[in-house]
Amino acid sequence: MAARRVAVTGLGVVSPLGNDEASFFEALQAGRSGVRRLEVAFSERLSNRIGASVDFDGAAHFPPPKLRMLDRVSQFALFAAQQAVSSAGPGLFDNERERAGVFLGTGMGGAQTTDDGYRALYADGASRLPPFSVLMAMNHAGAAWIGLEYGLQGPNLTYSTACSSSAVAIGEAWRRIRCGEMDVMLAGGSEAPLNFGTLKAWEALKTLAAEDSNDPAASCKPFALDRSGMVLGEGAAVLVLEEWEHAQRRGARIRGELIGYGLSTDASHMTHPTVEGQARAMALALESAGINASAIDYINAHGTGTAANDVTETRAIRDVFAAHADRLPVSSTKSMHGHLLGAAGALEMLATLLALERETLPPTINLRVADPACDLDYISEGARDALGAAVAMSNAFAFGGTNAVLVCRSAKCSL
Amino acid sequence: MSASTTEGQTFAVVRELIAKDHAIAPETLTPDTPLQSLDIDSLSLIELIFNLEDRFDVVADKVPENLPTLGSVADYIDSLVAARTAAAGDAAPSA
Repeated sequence: MAARRVAVTGLGVVSPLGNDEASFFEALQAGRSGVRRLEVAFSERLSNRIGASVDFDGAAHFPPPKLRMLDRVSQFALFAAQQAVSSAGPGLFDNERERAGVFLGTGMGGAQTTDDGYRALYADGASRLPPFSVLMAMNHAGAAWIGLEYGLQGPNLTYSTACSSSAVAIGEAWRRIRCGEMDVMLAGGSEAPLNFGTLKAWEALKTLAAEDSNDPAASCKPFALDRSGMVLGEGAAVLVLEEWEHAQRRGARIRGELIGYGLSTDASHMTHPTVEGQARAMALALESAGINASAIDYINAHGTGTAANDVTETRAIRDVFAAHADRLPVSSTKSMHGHLLGAAGALEMLATLLALERETLPPTINLRVADPACDLDYISEGARDALGAAVAMSNAFAFGGTNAVLVCRSAKCSL
Repeated sequence: MSASTTEGQTFAVVRELIAKDHAIAPETLTPDTPLQSLDIDSLSLIELIFNLEDRFDVVADKVPENLPTLGSVADYIDSLVAARTAAAGDAAPSA
């Protein structure tokens, strides 16, 4: 059986830059930052107090009986899925719910519930925890809720590979449709790590950015000489992936085509990335897409703003793209929405799809003087017009060494 | 123990908790109201019992499966209160 084509027909987003695709991309285009000083319990005891938080009131989206069972991470996941399904239009699932599934990624799962529970037990001396603690904290709660909401009876899986989790989820979902097993997949990721315990754990890794003394919102500076680390963010992004003819038959609006996925493992160090591992994931993604490196018009970089990532990723891009790297615009939208960990790959894939659809490449903000070892075109001057941009790549690399790379094509070029 | 005195109080608390958690008008709830009609499934029942345990200072080892109505939930909590009172009474003389 020939490989089937995979259309993207729905998008949903909850992000530090807005909770719908239009405001999210508008902010990216304007170079607006969602990074701010955090106001969470005990935040005065944080050394790194900045983060990219989401303005989100669960009570506005879920009735009380349901809300009480949803950790923040599942609220994000469900609301993003609702947007994605609604934007995909009528007839998405029809009577084929056994051929539709959910693949999500998350790094920390229901971290707020876990943090609240430990605080109650250890600090407040509680003798027991709320009855839904397990159902709220378990890593696959978000995916399970989405499956329940739409009665999707195909595979429901949650991938946890730290910062590449949701790129893996999207790539694996793409494979299921491509090979003919599934027709529709809701794929993406969700993360809600901005609680005191989780932030303290991240602080200890010494990879978080220092607060910019002039402007906290400018603290994340990927590829810059004065970068000091990553900024944690929260949110979710969910895509509807659909077999091409299935989408055409129901007259769906096709937003883009997912054409490649590369997966590799460094197997070298728990936190230190390798050029070889990242380059191999990019090369595999190009190979699975059946295109040459020179066909790529834009890369949404992993671009965390850490010393280790930005130089390694730059070198890996040079390795894979050779001379084309000098003509290839690359940006890190993490400079604006922060690092969403397990949701990062999905949010950035969504940004990449919108960039092609709107023929506008989002910038890397806060990049005034580049690190000499970071010598690509990072779109630091602001959003750039990209008329005719057809194919783009989104990188997601991770602690633990799992590298996932996705390649998509503009709907205009796919028809 | 006289069921008629505590049954009313316990049911009032059951009604108050359900009205709040499920956004239901309290006056529509009676001891005969079936849990099923309120969409109270096994998970919601666990939460209800959990909150009742807090209010009445009792502990349910397991949530019984045969609690079809709000009245039967109140009766169940009453039985736990009675058991606790009896245990305290047994312990008193030796204290």
